[in-house]
Amino acid sequence: MRKIILIPILLILFAACTKEVEIDIPGYEEQIVIDGQIETDFPPIVLISTSQDIYAPTNLDAFLGAFVSGATVTVSDGTTSVQLIELCTDNLPAGTEPFVAEMLGIPEEELANLHLCAYTSFDPAIFGEVGKTYALSVTLNGNTYTAETKIEEPVELNEVFWRPDGELTTHGYSWANLSDPPGQYDAYKWEVKRINIDPTTGEERDPNFEENFSPVFDDEFFDGLTFDFAYDNPFTYDDGPDEYAGLFPLGDTIVIKFSKMDAAVYEFMEKKYTQLATAGNPFATPTNIPSNISGGALGVWAGYSPTYDTLACQP
Amino acid sequence: MKYILLVFTLTISVLSHAQEKSTISGYVTDVKDGETMIGAKVYIPSIRKGAITNNYGFYSLTVPSGKYTVEFRMTGLETESIEIDLSKDVRFDLEMGSKTQMIDEVVVNANAEDNVKSTKIGQLELDIDEIKTLPAFMGEVDIIKTIQLLPGVSSAAEGGQGFYVRGGGPDQNLVLLDEATVYNAAHLFGFFSVFNADAVKSVNLIKGGMPANFGGRMSSVLEVNMDEGNKKKFGAKGGIGAISSRLTVQGPLKKDKGSFIVSGRRTYLDVIMKAAIPKSSPFAGSSYFFYDLNLKMNYSLGKKDKLFLSGYYGKDEFSFGNLDDNFQVDMPWGNGIAALRWNHLFSSKLFMNVTATMTDYQFSFKSSQDEFRFALNSGIRDWGGKVDFTYFPNTRNKIKFGVDYTHHTFTPFSVSAENDETVFDTGLAQKLYSHESAVYLLDEFDINENIRVNAGLRYSMFQHVGPFTRYIKGDISKPDSIVEYNKGDLIKFYHGLEPRISMRWMLPDRSSIKAGYSYNYQYVHLTSLSAVSLPTDVWYPTTNLARPQEGWQASIGYFRNFLQNKIETSVEVYYKGMKNLIEYKEGALPSDNVNDNTDNLLVFGKGWSYGAEFFVKKSYGKLTGWVGYTWSKTERLFDEINNGEVFPAKYDRRHDLSVVAAYKLSKRWVLSGAFIYATGNTLTLPTSWYVQNQELLFNYGQRNSTRMAPYHRLDISATWYGKEYKEKLDPATGEIIQVKKKLRSNIAMSVYNVYNRANPYFLYIDNDGDFLAGDFEITVKQVTLFPIIPSITWNFEL
Repeated sequence: MRKIILIPILLILFAACTKEVEIDIPGYEEQIVIDGQIETDFPPIVLISTSQDIYAPTNLDAFLGAFVSGATVTVSDGTTSVQLIELCTDNLPAGTEPFVAEMLGIPEEELANLHLCAYTSFDPAIFGEVGKTYALSVTLNGNTYTAETKIEEPVELNEVFWRPDGELTTHGYSWANLSDPPGQYDAYKWEVKRINIDPTTGEERDPNFEENFSPVFDDEFFDGLTFDFAYDNPFTYDDGPDEYAGLFPLGDTIVIKFSKMDAAVYEFMEKKYTQLATAGNPFATPTNIPSNISGGALGVWAGYSPTYDTLACQP
Repeated sequence: MKYILLVFTLTISVLSHAQEKSTISGYVTDVKDGETMIGAKVYIPSIRKGAITNNYGFYSLTVPSGKYTVEFRMTGLETESIEIDLSKDVRFDLEMGSKTQMIDEVVVNANAEDNVKSTKIGQLELDIDEIKTLPAFMGEVDIIKTIQLLPGVSSAAEGGQGFYVRGGGPDQNLVLLDEATVYNAAHLFGFFSVFNADAVKSVNLIKGGMPANFGGRMSSVLEVNMDEGNKKKFGAKGGIGAISSRLTVQGPLKKDKGSFIVSGRRTYLDVIMKAAIPKSSPFAGSSYFFYDLNLKMNYSLGKKDKLFLSGYYGKDEFSFGNLDDNFQVDMPWGNGIAALRWNHLFSSKLFMNVTATMTDYQFSFKSSQDEFRFALNSGIRDWGGKVDFTYFPNTRNKIKFGVDYTHHTFTPFSVSAENDETVFDTGLAQKLYSHESAVYLLDEFDINENIRVNAGLRYSMFQHVGPFTRYIKGDISKPDSIVEYNKGDLIKFYHGLEPRISMRWMLPDRSSIKAGYSYNYQYVHLTSLSAVSLPTDVWYPTTNLARPQEGWQASIGYFRNFLQNKIETSVEVYYKGMKNLIEYKEGALPSDNVNDNTDNLLVFGKGWSYGAEFFVKKSYGKLTGWVGYTWSKTERLFDEINNGEVFPAKYDRRHDLSVVAAYKLSKRWVLSGAFIYATGNTLTLPTSWYVQNQELLFNYGQRNSTRMAPYHRLDISATWYGKEYKEKLDPATGEIIQVKKKLRSNIAMSVYNVYNRANPYFLYIDNDGDFLAGDFEITVKQVTLFPIIPSITWNFEL
């Protein structure tokens, strides 16, 4: 999809030139941003920040300064209601570092140097369970923001496989076969990480799961069908030779995390990835991302039910 | 109803004064090639009465019986005076131009007062020869680009073909090629228009005070008439330019009876791209070209009947390939248009034109990557017919009436997708059928010597009929329900009265005040997801959900000429109100059209525009040209966009200035230039950013609240004409005489954007770097399309 959108741009680029300009963009208003998620068997985690003016400073201090402390955050599954505790990266309980590092996208060793706070709970009573609907409530400066998300019944992939691409023999895409349940709405997310050992570090290649350019899809076009589909290798675009970009080499071992989500979360995700692909593109309308949080906050409260498959890249 | 009665009463009261009268009528043609002359004036000075030839060169003038000197006047030709005994009705066809060759600066200014005297308000006629001397982008003479230089008309964006008239959208312009509707007048994403200037005879733009014989669009009418072809002899003309070439062949089918013209044009960007992109390149499958073909034939079946057949076919082919990724996109689109017309004279006072038209616009997008194939088709096909009568009862009245019918077939989206052997469910192809029809009556009449009125009424109807599949969207998590309509089922019927009136009041100082009011219904809509005009914009009809657009416009103007009509000036102010305007819902995506009706994704609102237009034109002398300036404001109000608050339209422009000048340096050289200044377009940019799951996201603010830098540009051109005549010894007299050369040619050199202004095409927000590394940055970037571009074209005529 990203490529299709790029085409008109490529066409006009033969004569186009680009320069930086300073222009008045009126209308900035600070808004609360809630980024919360709950996954099967994991505690809820909620980050709260504020939106920033487009011309605001973008250094690390400004980034960290955007996060908000002191909110009252509760999560309820209808019977159990738990108030989350505020945890900061420079003061984490032992053993939670890898999880927090993944959630924030910050190297584990950097965590202690930053003062970045999130809201979570270690009470197993509020860890994610399939089939339950979780209500989030955030109270901050006298305003209350609420949202609900459901952890949907997971759908497992029938099989995963690796297939060399075209004429190549050593590189290919990751493939899967899916039977979409008929007669119901289903929305999916695909993430991946490579677990073969990196010889230079002696550790698994990727500590965290990575998303592709367009990692979410729903069953609008294939309700009830069984079919094969492929995803590319998201780790290869920044490094590695261009001809193998998007491909997994023979011998890699990868874990595929295939999650389901509810319709409101999918709508947020779909628009989010559309915006990421098209922001600034004049061939698309400006896409604001619809939040599932009421009360005027940006962001999402997302429940996921992942399943995991390990794929050895062998023909 | 009262209104109809008023028109009839006035008509009849004028008719009742008829005494002993005679009518002179006929066709005016050009002696050179037999082409009919549009807008030639037939005038009897002794009684100060006159008529003007219509689009088919026909005139009719009824006066008290007697002997008269009748003058025939046409811009660029010497007036011809003929003594005619009008004791009875006379049919008088004239071939003009026999007495003189084309005259330069001493020309008799035949029609110069028309702009003051006619009831036409908000109308502009363009001289095709004048258009050809102006600077041309990449050497392609372009009618729509010239129109964009007129006050009240603005362009969509750099190079864009979409034009906006007095704050109306680009779909609100009725573009007619020989009376057939053109839905997409653009090639190459809008950089060139479909009108090949070599095949065009006249261009007329109506931006206000639309007469009742036109309808179906709210803002303007652009009437383009094709050349008919030389009735006297065979000839050819053409041009060779940097990116395209064209060739026109014309000649008699039977001398003085009928003629034909065929005109073709093709760009060769694809050839250049092929040469520029090596075969080994992954992009070797990429190319672009367009071609178009105009054809027209006409034939006289005796003195009372004429037949015209016009055709246009044009196609754009764009393809993009990346072999590395096994990725290929093909995007062909094009128009096919045909019109068959029959002129019949029932009498010297009653002229009839019957038209049958077909217009077809198709767009497709096909892409494939590995085993995945995707195709999207969209289009519109119209079949139509109309009958128009013009009745000339006397010199004080000209009555037009007629009926009009079109059958529309719209295919907004038809999508298919396959992956290896799996065929995805992309829903049914959306197809919509409708009938659009209208009847009208108008009368142009003089109330007294000073006041002339053009009053008319149009009654339009629109039926949305089956077969049709209506998707009723439930909650996002529930399947949609569907309502099926069978073939011929009436799904919705709309109709409305469209009163039109314009009047001219002559003032004693040979100036005039004109005023106009028009009410219009528009039953087809262009839906656009993007901020720039693209072939992916889709025409969509009125349905039970999408109501017809409605608009009214009132304008008033003051017209005055100076220096024996050498300088025409006018000031017009207007106010336009519009409702049921269409936009996509916020955040709508093209894929939302699948398994759905497009109108489920639309929202409806209203808009208004007001402004003042100042125009000064000099048509005669060594120096010709015009200055147009427009001040205007255009706003929109939609409940579901921008939180229900008023926002500026994307082409809302406070100031629009154009200065166009041509200077005839000598018989061989013409220099010209055009300067444009326009307030920058509006756009919607993010006002803030935030982070979710480590990704930077944007939040957009008020719709169209950011304004780009002003647009300005200067183009210049110089045209060198080869000698038209050669000297030859006349064997009979032994004298040296001037003989017209067989091959006449000129070289047009032009420079687009002389001072290389980086005009904004669009702006976007760019972000780069890493927060943790401390080099993260958000910047606003401006994309400019065209730098300074010189071009050269060789034009010839045989």
